[in-house]
Amino acid sequence: MNTTQQTARVGLFFLLGVALVWVTFETLSDGKIFEEHRHTLIAGFDDLKQLKTGDEVRLAGVKVGSVQLTRLAGRRAEAVLDIDPKIPIAGDASASIVMAGLIGGNYIAIDMGTPGSPPLPDGAEIKTLETPDLNTIMAELGGLGKELQDSLGSFSKAFNGDGKAGGGIVQKLDKLVTENSARIDATMANLQEITGKINRGDGTLGKLVNDPKLHDELLATVDEIKATAAQAKEFVNNAEAMMDQIKSGQGTLGTLVYDQKSAENIKASIANIRSVSDKLAKGEGTLGKLINDDGLYDSAQVTIKKVDRTLDGLNDSGPITAVGIVVNALF
Amino acid sequence: MKQLNIVLQGVGSTVQLLFRSLSYAGTLPRQWPRFIEQCYMIGYTTLPIVAILSFFIGTVLALEAGYSMSDFGAKEYIGSLVGLSMARELGPMMTAVLLAGRVGSAITAELASMKVYQEIDALTIMNIPAAKILVLPRLAAVLVMMPVLTVISNIVGWFGGSVVARYVSSLGISPEAYFAALRHFTKFKDVMNGVEKAEVFGFVVVLVCCNIGLNTKGGPREIGAAVTRAVVTSLILILVLDYFVTKVLV
Repeated sequence: MNTTQQTARVGLFFLLGVALVWVTFETLSDGKIFEEHRHTLIAGFDDLKQLKTGDEVRLAGVKVGSVQLTRLAGRRAEAVLDIDPKIPIAGDASASIVMAGLIGGNYIAIDMGTPGSPPLPDGAEIKTLETPDLNTIMAELGGLGKELQDSLGSFSKAFNGDGKAGGGIVQKLDKLVTENSARIDATMANLQEITGKINRGDGTLGKLVNDPKLHDELLATVDEIKATAAQAKEFVNNAEAMMDQIKSGQGTLGTLVYDQKSAENIKASIANIRSVSDKLAKGEGTLGKLINDDGLYDSAQVTIKKVDRTLDGLNDSGPITAVGIVVNALF
Repeated sequence: MKQLNIVLQGVGSTVQLLFRSLSYAGTLPRQWPRFIEQCYMIGYTTLPIVAILSFFIGTVLALEAGYSMSDFGAKEYIGSLVGLSMARELGPMMTAVLLAGRVGSAITAELASMKVYQEIDALTIMNIPAAKILVLPRLAAVLVMMPVLTVISNIVGWFGGSVVARYVSSLGISPEAYFAALRHFTKFKDVMNGVEKAEVFGFVVVLVCCNIGLNTKGGPREIGAAVTRAVVTSLILILVLDYFVTKVLV
């Protein structure tokens, strides 16, 4: 092979290699030779968990950037997020660290925020939400398991006793049954006898259970009770309707109770009655004097007697002398 | 003790050869035909075997990964496993192993023959240093060709994995899903790390093979022994260096 051909083949091979390097670069790095200006956001957390540089940032599940840097800032940890500048992040959007899978890997999930919310500027701090990670959940589950174990231990101790005097519920129950076996046997025999009687239809309970007539009567009684209850309900409804009318100021009673003008009139009437009664009590006015003055009573009696006599005279003398008699009787 | 002495002598002579060769770096433009010839030997003629081996490494990786990961319901990640494995480890290492077996042995055999048949001595008498015309063009050529070979190895391996992922019935992953997973987890930085590794491996393999060839003593039988020694030493050095270079790059 001559040198020219060899050189051409090496050149071809080299160019192929360069082309393949370029294809790989384009495929894996999206063809970005120089780092374009990205939108940076700061997300502060109490704990970044397993988040690391290069982890994804997803907006509603779609990759929009990556974690550029993780750092400590005072008493909290910060993740500097590298966001595609073409994608605005809402000002009230919040970021949280989400576990990508059980085998590890985390990403930052950002929600959409409120529509119309102004986008966060470059370098702004985004709101964050703390989410429990697998370790926290496992720790809580561990605590729960321990509590469950303790509870079961307490139950077990209550049932079986702790080996000390007295024993648990099971031992006490066993002792109770053993000591009272004769009584329990007698009780059981009595119960058996009672159930036998009921079964045979003896006694009130037996008849109630076995007699269909009694059963029908009982059902009829229940129906009557239901009807009565329905009537009572209707009565109550009527009463409620009446109360509603009264409360709304309708009708005489409603007006009397809830109408302010009527109330004032009644108050005024009562005050007048009281004033009248006071005057009557003090003997003021004609009626007061009539009630309280005994002299007036006596005078009236004398007058009535005179009138009586006059009338008697009229019967005897006729109308001509009537005026003279009246005058005499009166004066 | 004697073995240790031999090892130390080997290390010393290799370092000396490196510095002697680098001292002639300025003469490389004048050795352009030699450089091209070595590029042809190291790169162009090695490409077929690198491509074939890488393709089947990719297929086996995908098959094994798919078989194991199906149990976890994670066979969609085959692409990422093949992508990262080829780019970071298997691509550069297998290329270096093939370089040691195919090119390194040839270099040692050629230089050992020249040494045994006193051609090196003749060059030295003519004040033509072997490090200048025999070693430097090879070192320069391997530095240029190794990245190309490694990238080709990676791409062919990825392609082999995608073929298995698509056509093996128990896997049945579309090339789109395979390459999406590969792109998701494999970054250009990983490929570059692999290329850096390959550069180190290739440079060391060529340097060691040249040194063993130039230090061959005895008759023609020693040529074969030198080739064996060169390949074995190269393979051991590739694996030992792999650990340390990975440690540095991770």
